[in-house]
Amino acid sequence: MKIFHKCALLAWLGIVLSGCGPSPTFLSPASSIAEHEANLFNIILIMALVVFVLVEICLVWILIRDRKKTGDDKSPKQIYGNSKLEITWTVIPVLLTVVLFAMTVQTMQSVAAPAPSSTDINVHVIGHQWFWEFVYTDLGIKTANELHIPVGATVQITLDSIDVIHSFWIPQLSGKTDAVPGQTNHMWLTADRTGVFVGQCAEFCGIEHALMRIEVVVHSQDDFNAWVSYQQKPAVQPQTEEEQAGFKIVSNLCVSCHSLNPAEPEDKAGPNLAHLFSRSTFAGATYDLTEENINRWLHDTQPMKPGNKMDLKLTPEEIEHLLAYLKLLK
Amino acid sequence: MTVLAQISSKIREGAQSGFLLWMMTIDHKRIGILYLLSAAVFFMVGGFEALLMRIQLAQPDSKFLSPDMYNQIFTMHGTTMIFLVVMPLSAGFGNYLIPLMIGARDMTFPKLNALSYWTFLFGGVFMYSSFIFGGAPNDGWFSYAPLTENFYSPTHGMDFWIMGILLLGFATTIGSINFIVTVIQLRAPGLTLTRLPLFVWTMTVTSFLAVFSLPSLTTAVLLLFLDRQLGAHFYNVGQGGSALLWQHLFWFFGHPEVYILILPAMGIVSEVIPVFSGKTLFGYQAVVFSAIAIGFLGFTVWAHHMFATGMPSTTLLFFAADSFLIGVPTGVKIFAWLATMWKGKLRFATPMLFAVGFVAMFLIGGLDGIHLAVVPVDWQLTDTYYVVSHLHYVLFGGAIFGIFAGVYYWFPKITGRRLQEGLGKWHFWLMFIGMNLVFMPMHILGIEGMPRRIYTYGAGRGWEIWNFIETIGALIITVSVLIFVVNFFISLLKKATNEADPWDGFTLEWKTASPPPVYNFAEIPSVRSRRPLWDEKYPDLADWKAGE
Repeated sequence: MKIFHKCALLAWLGIVLSGCGPSPTFLSPASSIAEHEANLFNIILIMALVVFVLVEICLVWILIRDRKKTGDDKSPKQIYGNSKLEITWTVIPVLLTVVLFAMTVQTMQSVAAPAPSSTDINVHVIGHQWFWEFVYTDLGIKTANELHIPVGATVQITLDSIDVIHSFWIPQLSGKTDAVPGQTNHMWLTADRTGVFVGQCAEFCGIEHALMRIEVVVHSQDDFNAWVSYQQKPAVQPQTEEEQAGFKIVSNLCVSCHSLNPAEPEDKAGPNLAHLFSRSTFAGATYDLTEENINRWLHDTQPMKPGNKMDLKLTPEEIEHLLAYLKLLK
Repeated sequence: MTVLAQISSKIREGAQSGFLLWMMTIDHKRIGILYLLSAAVFFMVGGFEALLMRIQLAQPDSKFLSPDMYNQIFTMHGTTMIFLVVMPLSAGFGNYLIPLMIGARDMTFPKLNALSYWTFLFGGVFMYSSFIFGGAPNDGWFSYAPLTENFYSPTHGMDFWIMGILLLGFATTIGSINFIVTVIQLRAPGLTLTRLPLFVWTMTVTSFLAVFSLPSLTTAVLLLFLDRQLGAHFYNVGQGGSALLWQHLFWFFGHPEVYILILPAMGIVSEVIPVFSGKTLFGYQAVVFSAIAIGFLGFTVWAHHMFATGMPSTTLLFFAADSFLIGVPTGVKIFAWLATMWKGKLRFATPMLFAVGFVAMFLIGGLDGIHLAVVPVDWQLTDTYYVVSHLHYVLFGGAIFGIFAGVYYWFPKITGRRLQEGLGKWHFWLMFIGMNLVFMPMHILGIEGMPRRIYTYGAGRGWEIWNFIETIGALIITVSVLIFVVNFFISLLKKATNEADPWDGFTLEWKTASPPPVYNFAEIPSVRSRRPLWDEKYPDLADWKAGE
C-alpha cells in the first residue's frame, strides 16, 4: 500500500507542479487531518484507476477484435447470460464496498476532533455575506479574513453564520464544514508547519461568493503570543487634526457596521477595524491591504467587489481624513 | 349550426394540416417529436450558457460577465439541462417509442400526453421569460435556503423558478403516470414484463422514480413560495425555521432525479449495443433487476449531498454505505454491455459510437463518484470542481451521449432518412475529445481547491492553465454540436428512403414503416420472445427456440 501511495502522490505532484503556481491542494497537506484525507484519496484513486484501466482495456480490446469483417454475414453465437460470471461481477464489487466502508470508518476516526482541553485555542468562526469573521473567545480578539494560529496547537472551531449558508475550507489544513444559520457546527484545525494557507467559502452564498476568501497564518508559538498581545490592545487614538476628523467619521458613520473595540461584545455586520492595517488583505481576503487599495475602496467599493453591502458616499476630503486615521490602526 | 359548432368544425378542418395539426395533436409520435425538438432548442440555449461561463473563466479576474449575470447563467444552465433538456428528451423518446416498442397504437391517455407536453413547454418558456422581467433565478439549480428567501434574493427570479419548477414537475408527473399505465395496459399479446425491451423497462423505472420523488420537490418549492410571498417561516431561521429542511426535501427528490436522468440513457444504450453487436443483451434479467435496484437505492442516499452540513457520524456512515452499494448494480450493467459486445460482430455506425462512448465515459463518472461517497474525502471535494466534473461525466458523457446514440439510431424511424454517417463521426469524435478536455481538468481543479460557482478567481493558485484548456474544450464541443445541426438539416432535406429496418433491429418499432402510420401497426403483432423481429428474420436462431 505504501508504495502505491507514493506513486499516486508523485503523479499528482507532477500535475500540481505543472500548473502556474502553488495551489491550495489537500494533496500537499499541512496538518494530520488533511494528510489522512489525502491518503484515503490516493488509495481510492489507485483502486479506481485499476478498475478503470482493466475495464477500458477490455472494452477497447473487444472493439478491435470483434469488429464485423466485410462479407461476414453469419450471425454471431447468441449468448443469453452466464450465472457464474454474473454472480462473480456482483460479489466482487460488494466485497470492495466493504473495504471502502472499513477505510471510511477508520479515516473518520483518525480525523475526529480531540476532546477539548485547556490548552486549545477556541475560535468562533462566523460566516457573513461576504467575509469570514474570527472571534477568539478566550483572548478577547475579533478579526476578519485572516485566521492566526500557533503551529502544532489544537484549534477548536465553532461555526456559525449570521445570514445564509457558507462553508469553511482550508484544503491543506482540513476538509470543509458548513456554516449553517441557526445551527452551531464544530470542526477543528491543526497545522504542522508555519506559513500562510489559503482557502475560500465553498457553499454558494450569493453574488460575491467568489470573493469570500480566507487566509490562515500559522505562527511559531512566540510569534503567535506576540500577535495576540498586539491585537488585544485598544485602537490607537487620533492625534493630528486630520486624524481627529477621520476618527469622527468612523464614530459617526462606520460604527453602525464596524467596531474599533477588539473585544467588541456586540455582533457587527462588518469586520472589526481595531487593527485593520495589521492585516495583509481586505474585502474578503481579495485585495492586498495597501493605502492605495483602501483609498480606491473608500472612493467606491462597488467596482472592486460588486454587490457588497458597503455603500459609501464620501467627499474626497472626507476620504483623505478617514484614510489618515485608518492608517494608524496597525 | 350554432356559432360554436361552426368554430369547432373550422378548427378541426384546420387541424388536418400545418400549424394547428401540431398544436392540437394527441398522436404520441407527434407529441414525441414536439418534445424532442423543444428540448433540442433548450439544449442549444443551455449549451450557449455553458459557453458563456467557460469564456468568463478562461482567464483569472475576467470582466466578461458581471457577477450577477454569471450567477443567473449558471443557475439557468443547470436548471435548463436537467429540467428542460435531459428529462424532456427522455420523455420525447418515451412518447415516440414506448407504444411502438410494446406494439400499441398510442399511449393510454393521449390527451393527458398533450397536456404534459404543453405544460412542459409553457414551464420552460415561463422560466426563461424571467430574463426580460427583472432578472433570471440566480441561486443555483438546487437553490439552497435561506439564500432564496426574499431578503437575500429580492428579484423575482426565484419566483419564476418556483413557478417554473411546479409546472415542470406537474408535466413530468402526469407524463410518468401515462407511461406507467401504458406499459401495464397496452402491451401486445405475449409481451410479458420479462420480455419488455430494456428502454421500456428503464422508462418505467424512471417514471416510478419521478412519481415518488417529485412530491418532495413540490413541497419544498411550495413552502419556499409561502415564505417569499406570504411571509411564512419554513426556511427563515430567525423566525424558528430550518435552513437544512430545504436540503433534505430537495435532495430526497434530487438524488432520484440523477437516476431519472441517466436510466433512460442506459435503456437506449441497452437497445443500441445488442443491435450493433448482432447479439442479444447479455444477462437481461440482471440488467433489468439492476435498473430496479438503482431505482430503490436512489431513494436512500440523498444525504450524501450534505456530508459537510454537520451530521452525526452514524448518519454519515449510513449514507456513505448506501452510496457505495449503488456501484454494484451499476457495475452489473457495465459488465453486461461488455459481455454483449464480446464475440459479437460489431458495426460502428454513429449510434454505436455514441453508445460505446457512453460506456467508456459513464465508467469515469461512476469511479470518480466513489471519492465523493467516502465521507472524509468528500469533505475535501464537495462543492468543488471535482463534483462538477463527476456530474458531467455522468450527465454529459452518460445521459447526453446515450441520447445522441438514440437520436442517430431512431432518426431513420422518425423521418424515414438516415443521418449522414460522415458528419455523424465528426460529431462524435469532436464531442468526445471536447468533453474530455472540458471535464477531465475539472477533476484537477477540484483537487487544487477551486470551489464551484465562483464567477472569478485570482491568478497564482495554479488554476489558470486548466481553466484555459477547458474553454478550448468547450469551443470544440460547440463545433461538434454545430456539425450535428448541419447534419440534421442536410439529412432532412435528402430524399426519404423510408427503410423500415435500417439497422437490422430486434424490437417491434422496426417492424412498421418509417415513419410509422398514425395507427402504428395495421395488425397488432404478437410476441414470443424478447426480440420479436429477430425471431421473424432469423427463424432458425429464434430466441423462443433457445428458451431464453
